[in-house]
Amino acid sequence: MTSIDVRDLTKEYGGRRAVDHLTFRVAPGRVTGFLGPNGAGKSTTFRLLLGLDRPTAGTATLGGQAYATLREPLRRVGALLDARAAHGSRTARDHLLALAASNRIPARRVDTVLEETGLASVARRRVRTYSLGMRQRLGIAAALLGDPEVVLLDEPANGLDPEGIVWIRTLLRRLAAEGRTVLVSSHLMGETAAFADHLLILGRGRLLADTPVRDFIHARVRPHVRIRTTDPAALGDLLARHGHDASRDEDGTWTVRHARVDDLGRLMSEAGVPVLELAAGEATLEEAYLDLTAAEAEFTAPHQEA
Amino acid sequence: MPFAPVLHAEWIKIRTLRSLLGALAAILVATAAFSALAAADADGSDPLFSVFFGVSFGQIAAIAFGTTAVSSEFRGGALRLSLAAVPDRGRWFAAKATAIALPALAVGLLTGFVTLLVGRAVLGTAAPGWTEGLRGAVGCALHLTLMALFAAGLAAVLRSGVATLSVLIPFLLIVSFVIGDLSGSAADFLPDRAGQVALHSSWDGALGPWSGLAVTALWTTAALLAGAWSVRRRDA
Repeated sequence: MTSIDVRDLTKEYGGRRAVDHLTFRVAPGRVTGFLGPNGAGKSTTFRLLLGLDRPTAGTATLGGQAYATLREPLRRVGALLDARAAHGSRTARDHLLALAASNRIPARRVDTVLEETGLASVARRRVRTYSLGMRQRLGIAAALLGDPEVVLLDEPANGLDPEGIVWIRTLLRRLAAEGRTVLVSSHLMGETAAFADHLLILGRGRLLADTPVRDFIHARVRPHVRIRTTDPAALGDLLARHGHDASRDEDGTWTVRHARVDDLGRLMSEAGVPVLELAAGEATLEEAYLDLTAAEAEFTAPHQEA
Repeated sequence: MPFAPVLHAEWIKIRTLRSLLGALAAILVATAAFSALAAADADGSDPLFSVFFGVSFGQIAAIAFGTTAVSSEFRGGALRLSLAAVPDRGRWFAAKATAIALPALAVGLLTGFVTLLVGRAVLGTAAPGWTEGLRGAVGCALHLTLMALFAAGLAAVLRSGVATLSVLIPFLLIVSFVIGDLSGSAADFLPDRAGQVALHSSWDGALGPWSGLAVTALWTTAALLAGAWSVRRRDA
């Protein structure tokens, strides 16, 4: 089976470093989520993997080979980069037939992937009549055309309706279960956590995390309790006496980390501190992710593109 | 990667775009129609050019064909998809050029013969002889093919259909219509002037019919090499 190996990969565009000494490995048999804010270098990494852009330094290989040296690459690696790649005046079927011909993929595969992506009934319509979601499905159909061992999808959920999102989740899980290497980029943590086993998190071209999704959740998603009272000072004393990690917001609300509502409620009742509001909160995955990327994003120039 | 499947893919791309089929049809229609009009009003000084006058118009369709076939790759990331399928960029561009040349040549030959037959019918006794006529028909086909490829190479350098057409079309109009009648100057060696010597009964410049086409072929080769270099060198 084929893994993706990226070593010390760097790409500069006119002095701006889009990808900065990136090193990671993507293993087969699982879905790896490639996360990062816009401009983090995800799409650039994909282009470097596919040999479309020349790296400033470093290497990117698929099963030990550079993409450009693959014979009939669509049979080894399938990629979705841009849903706009299909010409609007061509039908979806003709678009896929041309791609298939270049890699000697039989025409019946075209009909199979059109069926698989739910486009069979509109396959003979011109692409310009498609919605963004349908173009996205056509891009995914093109990626699956050669029945590849490696599947690279750049923001595949873009423009999909809720039904489409469920469909792509199921598809990604299936591709990984079949033993393929699946790398999927996104800028949404919640969406990615729903289908990925492993996370690569990118910020300003650098790797911020390379971790299983479960570990990321355990390490970063922490419970907290929010309390509002008529006597914030007394509450502060009480929390400090019991050694709680607490902080007071500007509006007088206290946030207590690593605590449970049950314990704090009892404590306040015994101490006679009046309670206006006592609520358990869980920092979401999205917040944990934003925490991680915030420091990087702070310095991100606003004009950077994905 | 073998060449034939790549050429097959590029041919599918051409035959499935209506605008390209339209441009091919326009080569024939524009050349034959304008030639017939010119022949009806001929003064008899240059019988062959009276038959093939319309090539000046047909070549604009040939240029549109070559330009569009290449520039369709430079929109919406289409080139990335093409080069992901065929990472050998030199081979890809060679296939693209071949897929442009073959239909352009076929339509060019058809255009040459149709125009010759129409012209002979209109001119009657003032028509050029068969030998000269056949030279004109073949020259017309080669000239149209070379112009389509010249535009294709330029489009790959400029990476835009609009830019390519806005360079070539004014250039052709100026060369053909403004300094068109001045010969014996450097203008004779410009791509469309040189190739069109093959469409005249007589010539007085430095270039004859075949040497003229050879000069146009040199221009085309240069444009295609520049296009190939650009496709190979630049990030897709």
